Amino acid sequence: MAKRVLVVDDAIFMRNMIKDIFSGGGFVVVGEAANGLEAVEKYKDLKPDLTTMDIVMPFKSGIEATREIVKGDPKAVIVMCSALGQESLVMEAIEAGASDFIVKPFKSEDVLSVVKKVLGDA
Amino acid sequence: MGKYLGLFVSEAGDHLQKLADGLVQLEKVTREGGDRSGPVDAMFRHAHSVKGMAAAMQLDTISALAHGVEDLLGGLRKAEGPVDAEVIDALLIATDELQAMVQGAATAPPPAAEARLVARLVQATALVRGAAAVVPPAAPPEPQRQVAQPAAEPAPPVAPARRSLSVEVEIAGSCPVPAVRGFLVLKKLGGLGNVIQSSPTDDDLRAGRIPGKRLRVQMESTETAQGVERALSQISDLAAVTVRAEAELPAAVRREAPAAAVPEGTRTVRVRTELLDYFLDAVGELILATARIREVGRRLAGPQRPALEEGVDRLHAIVKDLHDKVMAVRMTPMALVTDRLPRAARDLARKVGKQIEISIAGAEIELDRAILEELGDPMLHLLRNAVDHGLEQPHLRLLAGKPATGHIAVTARRERDRVILELSDDGKGMDPERLKQAAVARGAITAEQAAALGHREALMLACLPGVSTAQTVTDVSGRGVGMDAVKKVVETVGGTLEIDSAPGAGTRVTLRLPLTVAVQPVLLVQVGEEILGLPMAKVHGAAEVEMARLETSQGGPLLPHAGGHVPVHDLGRLLGFPGLAPRPLRQVLVAEAEGGRIGLAVDALLGQEEAVLKPLNPPLDLVPGLSAVTVLGNGRPVFILDVPRLLAA
Repeated sequence: MAKRVLVVDDAIFMRNMIKDIFSGGGFVVVGEAANGLEAVEKYKDLKPDLTTMDIVMPFKSGIEATREIVKGDPKAVIVMCSALGQESLVMEAIEAGASDFIVKPFKSEDVLSVVKKVLGDA
Repeated sequence: MGKYLGLFVSEAGDHLQKLADGLVQLEKVTREGGDRSGPVDAMFRHAHSVKGMAAAMQLDTISALAHGVEDLLGGLRKAEGPVDAEVIDALLIATDELQAMVQGAATAPPPAAEARLVARLVQATALVRGAAAVVPPAAPPEPQRQVAQPAAEPAPPVAPARRSLSVEVEIAGSCPVPAVRGFLVLKKLGGLGNVIQSSPTDDDLRAGRIPGKRLRVQMESTETAQGVERALSQISDLAAVTVRAEAELPAAVRREAPAAAVPEGTRTVRVRTELLDYFLDAVGELILATARIREVGRRLAGPQRPALEEGVDRLHAIVKDLHDKVMAVRMTPMALVTDRLPRAARDLARKVGKQIEISIAGAEIELDRAILEELGDPMLHLLRNAVDHGLEQPHLRLLAGKPATGHIAVTARRERDRVILELSDDGKGMDPERLKQAAVARGAITAEQAAALGHREALMLACLPGVSTAQTVTDVSGRGVGMDAVKKVVETVGGTLEIDSAPGAGTRVTLRLPLTVAVQPVLLVQVGEEILGLPMAKVHGAAEVEMARLETSQGGPLLPHAGGHVPVHDLGRLLGFPGLAPRPLRQVLVAEAEGGRIGLAVDALLGQEEAVLKPLNPPLDLVPGLSAVTVLGNGRPVFILDVPRLLAA
C-alpha cells in the first residue's frame, strides 16, 4: 500500500514541488498545511505515515508543531525541510522528535531516498 | 588496590563536585525554564564514572549508591515536564552522602548508605519514571518500538543487564550539514539506551564541530549491536556504521574507553600536590645554588673564568626554564575555588530564607595551586558574609526598589602579574560610621583615630578582629572573627584585600593576588651590618629623611605621607638589634602594617630582588616579625620581615 504523506509548508510553490516529488515516487499526498497550527490539526485527522515539515512558519513553528505531534503520537515520522544556515533550528527540531531532515535546495531522488530510509523501506 | 585509593578519592571527589554543581544548575533551569538536558547528561556521566570507579576499587557501598543516583538521572533524561523538588533534594542528599563516603574511604571502607536514603532515591526514580510514562500515546506503540523505551517501573537497586556498546559512524562526504547528521545519530542512540560518552560531544555538535565527519559513542543499552545498527540504517547520509558489543569488562578497564576518545595530545596525569611542592622547592634550591656558583666564579682569576661563566649562564637558563615549567604545572584554574560557590550559596540562601543568584566569571583564570588552596575558606567566608549580612530579605529588597533576588558576582581577571578576584553583592552595603563606632567601642581605635579615617580606611575596620556590625550573630556568619582571618590568609600568600561599599549600594571585596607564591619581589635593606628583606607588596614608598627635622608626636617622629602622617619606627630597634649611634640621614620606607601604614627607618636601600622564599623551620618560625628566609647569590641567608605584625614583635 502506498504510504500517505502530509506536506507542511507556508509557501504554496514549495508544497506543490514537494507534492510532485512524492507523487512521482509512489506516495500519496493526503493533505497539506500552511502553518504549524494547521499541521497539528491535520495530523490528528489524517494520521499520515510521513509528514514533511517546514521550520519557519506563521502562527506556530514547525518545531512547535513537531513537538506537539510527537507528544500525541510518539511514533510519528516527521522529516524537517530545512535550508543551510538553519542547523541549530534543525537540531532543536530533532530534540523535539523529528526523525530526519532534508536540506534545501533538494533533488527529488535525495528526498525520496531520505524518506524511504526513515520509513524503513530502503 | 591501596595505592590507587588516593587517586580514587581525588578523582571521584572531582566528579561528585561537578555532579553537585550540575544540581544547582538543574535547579536554576527548573526554576527559570530552559533546556535541562545539558546538565542532566553531564550529571549522569559523572554519576556513572563514580559508580565504575568505586566498583573497580571494590567499594561496593559507594558503587551501589552511585548506581541509585545514576538511575534517577537516567530516568530524568527521559522524563518530560518540571522536575519535582523532591527529586533534586534526593539527589543533593545522595551526592553529599557519596562525597562523605568517598572522602571517608581514604581511611576505612565506608558502610552502606542509609536504607532510608536508598529508598528515597528509588522513590524519586519511580516518580520521574512515572512522569515519563504519562506522556499519552495516541495509539498504542508497536512492540518493537517499545524496546527503545526503558521499563517504566521503579528501578531495582541492582544494575539491569545492559550491554556496553561502542558505536562509530562516518557521515557521507556529500552531506552539507554533517554536525546536524551527527546530532541526529546521537539523539537516536540516546533513545536506544544511555549515552555514556561521545566524541564529538553534544555541545560540539551543536556548535557545528565534527572533525573528520566521524562520531564515536560509548553507550549502554538493552539493545543488541544488530538492533542498534538496524535503527541507524534508517538515517540517511551515513557512509559507514560500526556497532561493537564490548565484552562485559571490569569497570576499571571500561573506563579506558572514554580516555581513548579524548583527542591525541591532551592526555593528562594526576600528580600529588606535595610532589609539585617538592619540585618547586628543588628548583628553588637550584636557583640559589646557581647564583652561588656564579658568585664564586667572579672571584676566580685566570683563563678558567670565561668557560665557567659560560657554563653558569647555560645552567641559569636551563634552571630558569625549568622553574617556568614547574610554575606552569602548578597553575590551576580558579574554578578549583569558584566551583564550590554556587552550591554553597544555594545552601546558605535556603538557610537564611533569601533569594540569591550567583554569577561567576573568569573561572578559567589560572593561579598557583598553593594560593588557590588557601583561598577556599576565605572565599566561602566572603560568600557567607554577602549572603547573611550583605543581601537583604526579599521584602526589604522590594521596598528598596531592588529585585527580590539578590545578586552575587564573583569575577576573576588577570592584571599583569596579578590576579584580581572580586566578590560583590547588591545588598545593603556597609556603613563606615557604624564600623567606626564598633571599632571604638571594642577599644580597637580611639575616637580621634576614628574621626581621622577616610571612607575606605573605615571600611577596612571590618578586618580588625572582633569588629562586626552585624546586629545578630547567626549560624551562618557574624561572629566578628571572619574578615580579619580572611585578610590574614590573603596576606600570607602575598596578596592584598580591599573593601568598597556604600550604604544601600552593595559591597565589593577585592583580592589582589600574586600568580605564584614562592617567588616574590623583595626589597633588600640594610640595618647596621644586617641585611633584611621586605615583601614589595607591603612597601608603599621610600624617602631619604633628615630625622631631626621630622615633627614628633607622643615622643615618636612622624613622616608626612599621602596627605597625612605615619609614625616612624627604627627597624633596628624594633628587631632588638644592639643600639647604634643614630645617624642624622636615614632612609624611611612606608609599609603596610596591621592597623595602618608605618614608616620604617633603615640605613640603606640595597635594591629589589626576585627571591625564592622558604618557610622558616622551628624554632625560627616562632620568632615574631619574621615570615620567611631567602638565600642571596653570595650564599648569605636573609630574613624576610613579616611587616604586618612587625609592631607586635
